[in-house]
Amino acid sequence: MDLVGHRISAPAVVLSRGRAAERTRREDGGAVSGRGAVRADLEQVFRAAYPRVVAVATRVLGSRDGAEDVAQEVFLSFAHTAVPAGEAPAWLSVAAAHTALNHLRSGRRRATREETAAGPPSSVPDVADDVVTLDERRRVRAALARLPRRQAVALVLRHSGLSYAEVAAALDLSPGSVGTTVRRAESALREELSRHASSH
Amino acid sequence: MRHPTEGTLRRLVDEPAGVADADREHVTGCPACLSGLTAVQRDAAAVSTALDTGAVPDVDAAWRRLSHTVAVDERRRASAPAPARRWRNRLRSPVVAVVGVAALLAGGGAAAAADWLQVFRTEQIAPVSITQADLVALPDLSAYGTAAVVEEPDVREVPDAAAAEQATGLTVPQVADLPGGLGGDPAYQVGDRATVEFTFSAERAAQAAAAAGEVLPAPPAGLDGGRFRLSAGPGVAAVWTSGSGAPGLVVARAVAPTAESSGVPFETARDYLLSLPGLPEDLAAQLRAFSGDGTTLPLPVPAGLVTSSVADVDGAPATVLTSRDGSVAGVVWVTDGVVTAVAGSLDADEVLAVARGLQE
Repeated sequence: MDLVGHRISAPAVVLSRGRAAERTRREDGGAVSGRGAVRADLEQVFRAAYPRVVAVATRVLGSRDGAEDVAQEVFLSFAHTAVPAGEAPAWLSVAAAHTALNHLRSGRRRATREETAAGPPSSVPDVADDVVTLDERRRVRAALARLPRRQAVALVLRHSGLSYAEVAAALDLSPGSVGTTVRRAESALREELSRHASSH
Repeated sequence: MRHPTEGTLRRLVDEPAGVADADREHVTGCPACLSGLTAVQRDAAAVSTALDTGAVPDVDAAWRRLSHTVAVDERRRASAPAPARRWRNRLRSPVVAVVGVAALLAGGGAAAAADWLQVFRTEQIAPVSITQADLVALPDLSAYGTAAVVEEPDVREVPDAAAAEQATGLTVPQVADLPGGLGGDPAYQVGDRATVEFTFSAERAAQAAAAAGEVLPAPPAGLDGGRFRLSAGPGVAAVWTSGSGAPGLVVARAVAPTAESSGVPFETARDYLLSLPGLPEDLAAQLRAFSGDGTTLPLPVPAGLVTSSVADVDGAPATVLTSRDGSVAGVVWVTDGVVTAVAGSLDADEVLAVARGLQE
C-alpha cells in the first residue's frame, strides 16, 4: 500500500501536495458547483468495510458508540478521496486506528468510555465481559493511549485481522518487524494488566 | 543456530506460514523457544480478549446515518460561496509549503520522533481529524467579502538547489554541518507565488454581524468595495531523509505573506475587522498576527501541543517550537520579507545550530 510512498521524503510538501490534490479534485470534480464529488463506490465500500472499521475503532476505544462515531468520521473523509478501491479496506482501517487513538488521547471520548465502563451492562451482549472486568478494560485503554503510536496502531490492526504484510505496508515497516512491534505492545499491555491484578 | 526473535515467535502464533522453515524447525526442538512461544501466546491471547468487545454494528443504520451526513455536507458545501472555498483551500497552500514544517511540528507535538511518519500518514488519511493545517492558513475573511485566486502556487519537485533557485529566485541556504544520522543530498521542492484578491463587502459583514446577533459598526470610509491583495511565496524546501526513511531535517524558505490594498490601508481593514462583534477568536488571533507587510508570520501556535520560545538567528528574532516531549523541534524567522524555517527530529539546540550555520 503506497499511502505515503514518495511523500515520506518531503514533509514540507506533504501538506501542500495533499492540499493541491484535494483542490484539484474539488475543483475538477464538480464541473458546475466547483466542489468535490462524493466517490461513486462509497456505498459499496462502506457496506463491505464498515464492520471491520468499527471493530478497529472499538478495540481502541472499548465502546461501540464511540467507535461508530469514529467510523462515520473516517468514511466521511474517505468519501472525498481518490484512494483506489483495492486499497480502501487497509486505508480505512489505518484511518480508524489513528482517529480512534486521537480521540482516546485527547480524551474526547472519556465520558463515553467511563460511562460504558462504570455503568450497568449495555443492552448489547458482550461476551468479553465474562473474562475481562470493566475496570481491566478501562486500564487497557489507558495503557493503549500511552503506547508509542506505531506500536498501538500495529497492535490494533493485527488484532483486527490485518495480515502482517498489510500492517507492514500501513506502517512502513518490514513484515519481519511487525511481529516485534506487536509483541512489544502486547508485553506492555500484559504487564499493565498483571501489575494491577497482583496489586488487588 | 541462534534463537529466533520474539517477533518471529509472535508471528508463529498467528501467521506461521510467514515464518521461515528453519526458524519453525528450531522452535519445535528448542525448549527455551517453546517456553518463550508459550509466553508470547499467552500474552497475545490475553490482549486479544482485553481488546475484543464483540461489537456487531448495524450496517444499514450506519449507512443511513452516513448518507444523511454526506447529503448535509454536500448541501453545506453547495451553499458556501465558491470563492470562499477557494480562499480557504488555495491560500493555505503556499504558506503551508513554507511553514509546513512548523505545522507538522505542531501536529506532531505529542508524538515521538518515530511518530513523524504517522503524523504525515494521519494527514494523508484522516484530514477531518487534523486541524493543524489551519495553523498556516491566511485569515478566512469569506464572511466579510469575496475572494478570487489570482496566482496558483503549483508546488513541484526540482532536481537540485540550482533549479530551485532558478524557479523561485530565492537563495537556497546550504547546511554547513548536517546533524548526526543525516547525510546525502536533500530533495528539493518549490512552489510559485500564490495571490488572492479579497474585496470587502459591508453587506456581507452586516450579515455576519446579524448572524451573531449584533449590529455592524459603520465601516471606515472607502472600505466597502475596497480590494486587498494577499500574496505568499514563492518558496523552496530542502528535505533530508533519515536512515529509517522518516524526514530528518527540513530547511524551507519563502517570501513571507504580504497584503496590499487599492485604497484603504490593509491595517485599517484589519483593525476594523478586529472591532467587529462576533468575530471568531481564532480568526481574530490570526488577524492580529498578520501585519501584512511581510515582517511577521501568521503562525498561531497551539498551546498544549508545543512550547514556543524566542531566540535569535544571526540577529533576527526567531520563534523556536519544541514538541512537548522534546523529540521534534523547529525554528522560524523572517528577514527582509523572507521566511526561513528549519525543523526536524532534533532538539531545539540542534535546529538552532543548523539555522545559525546556514550558508547563503
